[in-house]
This record gives sequence, C-alpha cells and structure tokens, in this order.
Amino acid sequence: MTKKLNRRDFIKNTTANTVGVASIASGISLTTFAASENPVSNKKRWGMLIDTNKLSEANIEDMVNACQEEHGWGNEKYSTGEQKPDWIKKVKVKDKATGKIDSLPLMCQHCEQPPCVDVCPTNASVKREDGIVLVDKHLCIGCRYCMMACPYDSRSFVHENLSNQKADTPRGKGTVEACTMCVHRVDKGEVPACVEAVGGDGVIFGDLYDANSKINKTLKKIQSTQIRADLNLNTGVRYSGI
Amino acid sequence: MRHFPIILLALMFTSVFAHGNDGHINLGDKATELKEEGKSRDIHPSLAEIRKMHPEFLLHKRDQTLRQGIRSKRNSLKACVDCHSSTKNDEYLPINAPEQFCSTCHQKVGTSLDCFACHRTTPEEEL
Ligand code: HEC
Ligand code: HEC
Ligand code: HEC
Repeated sequence: MTKKLNRRDFIKNTTANTVGVASIASGISLTTFAASENPVSNKKRWGMLIDTNKLSEANIEDMVNACQEEHGWGNEKYSTGEQKPDWIKKVKVKDKATGKIDSLPLMCQHCEQPPCVDVCPTNASVKREDGIVLVDKHLCIGCRYCMMACPYDSRSFVHENLSNQKADTPRGKGTVEACTMCVHRVDKGEVPACVEAVGGDGVIFGDLYDANSKINKTLKKIQSTQIRADLNLNTGVRYSGI
Repeated sequence: MRHFPIILLALMFTSVFAHGNDGHINLGDKATELKEEGKSRDIHPSLAEIRKMHPEFLLHKRDQTLRQGIRSKRNSLKACVDCHSSTKNDEYLPINAPEQFCSTCHQKVGTSLDCFACHRTTPEEEL
C-alpha cells in the first residue's frame, strides 16, 4: 500500500494529532488556577523577627504549645527525654558580665545557606525557592547527618510508630523533622501557628524582600541580630532585644 | 474486523479492574454520594486512568507540593482520604484498613503502601 502525502494532508494529520495530545493532557492537568497552584518563587523570602523584649516567658510557652497543637508532636510515649522531638524550644541565654538572662524561642532558623541541605545524601533536606527549609520525608533515610550539621540543634528524629497525625503534618518513625515555618499555612496566605499565638508585635512574620512589608521596614529601623551570625548562614529568623 | 475495537476495549477494562467480589468497590461515603449525583467525571476525568495511573499522579503531586508549594486538591493524598473514607458507628474507619478504599485493590495485587505510616488515615474534621 502506497500513499502519497501532500503538504495539506500532512498539516491536517498533524493538527488532528495535536488535538489528541492536548485533550489527553487536559485530563491530567489542573483545571483551576488559585494562588496555591503556582510554584513558589525566589522573589520572596519568608522570615520572622522575634523581639525578646516583647515576649514574656508565658508568650514563649504559648508559642511552643501552639506548635505542638498545630503539628501534633510532643505526645510520643516511648521516646526518652533525649529522643523527644523539639520543633521549637525555650532557650535561656545569660550575659556573663551582667548576669542578665533572656529567654528566647529557638527553632529552625531557615538559613539561606543551610548546612543541613549541604550534608544530606539523598536531597531530602531542601530549601524552597522562598527560603523555607524542609525535610522531604519521602526521601529521608534517617541518617541524621543534618541533625549533626545544624548549629541550632533544631532538628529531631522520630523514634517510634505514630498514629492519628495531623492531616497537614504527616510524621513517621525513622525520619527527621523540624519547624516547617508552617508551610501549609503560609501557602494559604496565613501566618505560622507560633506567630499567631503571640499576636501583637512580639513576633513579626513576613517577606524579608518586600520593602513594604512590616518585617522589612522594622528590620531597617531597629537593631537586630542573627544567632551565630559568625557562621554567615544568613538566617531567615532574626532576633532583637538580645 | 469491525468487532476488533470492542474486543480490545473489553480486554483493556478487565485487565485494569481489580474489583471486590461483588463487583463493587467500597468507594467511601462522600465518593459514593458524588457518584450517585453523577459528579464522577468532574473529579476523575477517566476512571481507567485513575485506576492505573494513581501511583504516578500521587508521586508527582507529592513533589510539586513539597518542593514548589502547589496545594491544589487534584491528586492530593489528603483529598483522597477526605473523599474516599467510610464511616461506621459515627466514626471514620482508617482508609488503609482491610476492605477500605486504599486497601482492597492493593490486597488483591499484593501491594503494600508505607504512605500511612506518616499520613493521616481518616479525615480530620469531626463527623
Ligand atoms: C471529591 C471526591 C474524590 C476525591 C478527592 C478523590 N476521589 Fe477517587 N473517586 C471518587 C468517585 C466519586 C469515584 C467513583 C467514580 C465512578 O465509579 O464513577 C472515584 C473512583 C476512584 C477510583 C476507581 C475505583 C473503582 O471503581 O475501581 C480510584 C482508583 C480512585 N478514585 C482513586 C483516587 C485517588 C488515588 C485519589 C487521590 C489522589 C482520589 N481518588 C480522590 C471521588 C473522589
Ligand atoms: C516519612 C513520612 C512520610 C511518608 C512515609 C509518606 N509521606 Fe507523603 N508527605 C509527608 C510530609 C511531611 C508531607 C508534607 C506535608 C505538607 O507540607 O503539607 C507529605 C506530603 C505528601 C503529599 C502532598 C500533600 C497531599 O496530601 O497531597 C503527597 C501527595 C504525598 N505526601 C504522597 C505520599 C505517598 C503516595 C506516600 C506513600 C507512597 C507518602 N506520601 C508517604 C510525609 C510522608
Ligand atoms: C481500583 C483499585 C485500586 C484502588 C481503589 C487503589 N489502588 Fe493504589 N494501586 C492499585 C494497583 C493495581 C497498584 C499496583 C500498580 C503497579 O504495581 O504498577 C497500586 C499501587 C499504588 C501505589 C504504588 C505502590 C508502590 O509501592 O509502588 C500507591 C502509592 C497507591 N496505589 C496509592 C493508593 C491510594 C492512596 C489509594 C486510596 C486513595 C489507592 N491506591 C487505591 C490499585 C488501586
């Protein structure tokens, strides 16, 4: 069987094919376009400014409780003290000269140059384009190099089987976990649970790059610091009052 | 020759289906309701496709959500659980329990999932 294909037929056939492909693809692809359906970009960098002068001990405890409530950690039955997860904790720092004691909440600092990402052998430690540092637990093999690399001791390892997790925070034995800056809330345009728990100006959450954001404006105005600034990790979490 | 496409179709369908013994899979409460309302196609444009391709869809969606923050409902595991869960005595049954939606077919084909070691097995909202 021979068939001569002239240019017209060729064009006709290819268009027919293209339509076929497009309709298959549309079955798979997304049909609506809300904000959360667009990939995050590096035009933004999420950060937090924690003003220890404005935070009482009780405020800090509220932050810890809000985090536990949001992500469902802290009820581990079989883990010993050392093994218990600590997504956020209250830390006391003492000025050796004056004896002044400050309490501050410490969690993943969402570094621009995260050591945990550098050492991860499976690419499970990731920094999103918008600066949020995460563990992709699907890829995590539980080697815990990242826990050793983190200067802030902010990652934990799940030592036991869990059930009844929070829908937005899947967690399971054998993987590393840490503060996610509440990505699931941030992607919806909300603020992290710990920020909401304090209210007021004690903790400001926002886009560090946005010149109109409260966090950007405040950082331009007041004295602030990064914990272990000497490491040049350029953290997303900043402190003032210490 | 005219029957060939029909035979082919019949073969395709029998090979992809892994139905329960009664020929009806336990879809879960919400999904059953939606099916009765004729809304199936709005959710899964093609049944044959979701039956065959859901592992790929889920893994793709997983990477999109984690790495790019894409949180639409389509192919979200949380959404599968919300829609395909069944209830008994006013309580949700874990979706990966025997005879529940994410386990019947898998039992048949001898696949076991680790997803629910971390992912919640019931919808979070109260009944
Ligand atoms: C909003 C509700 C809803 C969501 C969300 C949903 N489904 Fe469904 N699903 C349905 C309905 C309704 C049907 C029945 C379609 C029919 O039979 O006409 C169905 C059918 C199916 C079937 C075919 C079952 C059979 O008859 O063999 C599979 C497989 C399936 N869904 C998998 C999934 C997976 C995987 C997800 C998550 C990625 C998901 N579904 C999310 C409503 C939903
Ligand atoms: C070790 C824990 C763990 C295991 C095991 C796991 N996941 Fe996840 N999964 C997560 C975490 C953590 C997230 C991030 C949740 C978020 O940011 O909302 C997630 C998110 C997802 C998402 C995007 C959110 C959603 O609900 O749509 C999908 C899809 C997903 N996982 C699929 C899977 C599938 C399929 C499996 C099994 C093959 C699996 N996961 C196994 C921890 C896990
Ligand atoms: C209509 C039958 C059917 C239903 C219902 C079903 N699955 Fe599957 N699933 C399969 C089959 C068959 C395979 C094996 C595919 C293969 O090996 O290529 C599979 C494989 C998988 C895999 C890949 C497993 C692996 O180790 O590679 C995942 C993940 C998965 N299913 C998730 C789900 C989830 C989540 C649900 C419930 C929302 C679900 N499935 C409901 C038939 C089904």
